[in-house]
Amino acid sequence: MKQSLLHYILNGFMTGMLFISCHKPDVILPDEEPGETAAFTIPENFPRVMIDPDNPMTKEGIELGKQLFFDKRLSGNNQISCATCHRPELSYSDGAALNNIGVSGTTLLRHSPALINMAWANNGLFWDGGATNLESQAFGPLTAHDEMAQNLFELIEELIVVPEYVQLFDKAFRAPVTAANIVKALAQFQRSLVSANSRYDKYVRKEAGGFLSDEEKQGMLLVQLKCQPCHATDLFTDNLYHNNGLDDDFSDAGVDDIYLGRARVTYSDKDIGAYKTSTLRNIMVTAPYMHDGRFATIESVLMHYSEGVKYSPSLAAEMFQKENGEAGIPLSETEKKNIIAFMKALTDTGFLKK
Amino acid sequence: MKRNILILSLLVIFCFTACTKEKEVLVEVEKEVIVEKEIIIDAPGTLTLNFQSKVGAESFVLNTDFNIEGRTYNFNKLRYWISNVVLTDTAGIEYAVPNSYYLVEKTAAVVVQDGDYTYPAKERESVKIENIPVSEYISVKFFIGVDPVYNNNLSLQAGELSQLNGMTNVSWMWHTSYIFTAIGGKVTEGNVSKNIQAETGLNTNYKSVTINLPTGVNISSTDPKKANFSVDVVKILDGVDLIATPVVGASQAQVMSKLAENYTKAIVLTDVE
Repeated sequence: MKQSLLHYILNGFMTGMLFISCHKPDVILPDEEPGETAAFTIPENFPRVMIDPDNPMTKEGIELGKQLFFDKRLSGNNQISCATCHRPELSYSDGAALNNIGVSGTTLLRHSPALINMAWANNGLFWDGGATNLESQAFGPLTAHDEMAQNLFELIEELIVVPEYVQLFDKAFRAPVTAANIVKALAQFQRSLVSANSRYDKYVRKEAGGFLSDEEKQGMLLVQLKCQPCHATDLFTDNLYHNNGLDDDFSDAGVDDIYLGRARVTYSDKDIGAYKTSTLRNIMVTAPYMHDGRFATIESVLMHYSEGVKYSPSLAAEMFQKENGEAGIPLSETEKKNIIAFMKALTDTGFLKK
Repeated sequence: MKRNILILSLLVIFCFTACTKEKEVLVEVEKEVIVEKEIIIDAPGTLTLNFQSKVGAESFVLNTDFNIEGRTYNFNKLRYWISNVVLTDTAGIEYAVPNSYYLVEKTAAVVVQDGDYTYPAKERESVKIENIPVSEYISVKFFIGVDPVYNNNLSLQAGELSQLNGMTNVSWMWHTSYIFTAIGGKVTEGNVSKNIQAETGLNTNYKSVTINLPTGVNISSTDPKKANFSVDVVKILDGVDLIATPVVGASQAQVMSKLAENYTKAIVLTDVE
């Protein structure tokens, strides 16, 4: 007993010694933020944005994310990458209404959205907003059987044998290859895809080459008046969900309520048939249009808004622009022509060539 | 004994010679050493939460027929997250167990991602919580599921949270988040037989359970404690018709909500040992 008491005293004594030691003990500092913080320049005409503090953007993280985005190892059959359905030259969309190039070859039920200015897309991902952030969202297409069908264990095994990846993960996260770090890097890369150098941008920022024709200016005013209630700010999207009158029959509860739109996420009747507002930026290269790619051309989109809006109780208030109170946005042929002219000025050709 | 005293003396000498400026501090430290004796004996302790799955009075066993209200059930899994454990002591001081995300389960091999990989069969019903500050605790609170911060962002890591254990969404992947609870197998009534897969999830179904400990439970390093809970599947399935709704996911919001509520009632303290 005495022995053990003395043992305690000795132990305590030695612990005490640490505090009175002449030298400052070696302090183990928490890991410094890995990588070099990537300067995130917000275009002058864009709203401010908060980058997720849990996944700060770094040069190394973006570089790693880019490499992963274009790497076919990320699919179960190693034949498709993220970029297969999100092609840079199409503003990271795929040009197909509903593609069937996933691992299973099944026709998908949603159109591949364009991926630009994703740093501002902080109000849900997917057409119905079921994913809260790009990090979580990535697990959807990565693992979905009809998309990349990637076994995550296998993916980690495939990447850890590539010395370059081991190095890149270490540089970006000071950590080995993990599923969480894969999606973090992908998110950082996507947030780096800022497209803000169209002729319109140069015009509003009064930069060289910033010229709009009269027709385009007319179009711009029309867009501001009639489209910007939803395609808001210079992002040309409010990142909200609206029922824009594509359908009026929502009785099909198939495929886990996929035809209910946003309502299958919120369980709210007012979100029935509502989908995320797409940006109008680079719109001329992101055909076909809507969540299911049902409109092949921009002309048919405008025709929908002027003549084809279908009424249902959840139809967005923004759709009622006709004087007689009917649903729809009145647009003359000239107005449509001008709007299209303006939309062409929203193409950021430099971004598409990157 | 003599040798120990010798070491002690040597250490004292070492310290005095090493840093003479610190003499006064050293004296103080020596005093503290005596006081610390008590603290060392009463160091932080351990509480094991032991979740004993049951079907009524019987033990829950996989691949075995159970009769519940005239229906025959044969289960292949019961899995759920227990998270954010908080212990409250007699003074009302709360101890929130850091990183407390535990996957409690009795499961046959789980086929994940439509068969892309298999999560091995596993039985784990005991959660050992260490380093609990010495005190007399009167209640334990935990949640079933994963809190919104982690549920909304699968890339954040804490405790046992992982994307790799088949408890993230596959069947309702448009909600990229965690499955909070999962029970599966087969139900038969007369000629009708259905494969069942009943899952809960979504932030609205993140539910807390507060359990009062019958008498204060003293926790310290000298006295590890174990709280036994019964988790009754009969109560989990109470009022849930799995023949009518064999698959419960995000599209079956009402049934899911009922099921999530049931879990909070199914977990009952039986005893503390």
